[in-house]
Amino acid sequence: MACMNEEGQWIVLMGLLVAVALFFLALIINQSALVGQTTAEGVLEFPKNDIRDLREAVFDYVKEFGDADDAVREDIIAISLERKNAVVNFTVNQKMRVPDRWLHPVTIHYNNGVTVYNETVYY
Amino acid sequence: MVNDAGQLYTMEGVAAGIIMLLTAYIVVSTTSVYTTGDTHIPDMQLEQLGSDVLAMMDTPDTNGMKSALEIFVNTGNSTDFNNTFLSCCNATTSGKPDNLHMSANVTYRDANTNVITEHLFVAPDNTWTGRESAVRVTRWVQLPSGSPNYGSRAQVVLVEVLLWRA
Repeated sequence: MACMNEEGQWIVLMGLLVAVALFFLALIINQSALVGQTTAEGVLEFPKNDIRDLREAVFDYVKEFGDADDAVREDIIAISLERKNAVVNFTVNQKMRVPDRWLHPVTIHYNNGVTVYNETVYY
Repeated sequence: MVNDAGQLYTMEGVAAGIIMLLTAYIVVSTTSVYTTGDTHIPDMQLEQLGSDVLAMMDTPDTNGMKSALEIFVNTGNSTDFNNTFLSCCNATTSGKPDNLHMSANVTYRDANTNVITEHLFVAPDNTWTGRESAVRVTRWVQLPSGSPNYGSRAQVVLVEVLLWRA
């Protein structure tokens, strides 16, 4: 080795730098395969549509029954637990004055073991 | 006497060794992410598509009217429900329509006995083998004046659609 010509060391150095750069690019490609999977898993696990749909069902209930207690409330709670593995509860209270309108305060609770959602809304 | 010429060659050798070791480590530790990745992504898209179609069918044409979904469930019109749902799902912006299939059931509760019953609303067609990568989408449907199929009281039922690509 010591007897070799030592000119052009910078060419060797550039080769080294290119090798390191290629290594990091390979690392990025390696990670990119996981990105789509973890994102899709996250989206599938988060019950976005379930929560939206539950809110809509609760609002339909308030529109129909107000703060009266009806068996429909039990329907939503029981079917959620049976078919969707979600513990759901909601209460509708008497209308109160919210700045200048009379609205029902509605509390919604949702828990499917992974995602917990609580909300108080005036409807 | 130790000659100190050619230090860079030594450094290069060490660096190359480290790179080779790391590369081997990454190659060995990268296993079979592709199979799981490619089932989750279409599942996610299918679930979103199904939810959107149900939301669309549950939207009335004008304020105060009943939505198409509510009418289909209330009257037990499974043929029109099936056709409307699939024509929305299979629509594509260009080229051939998609090849999605569905089955549906309606879950309701008997208030007196507190028994929850599933009613088969749309039976699966002959593409269903039980081994499809199917997704389930659901939608609450309020029936304020009851329904001939699910009881005369006001109630809310859960429409569940199983959706798969054949």
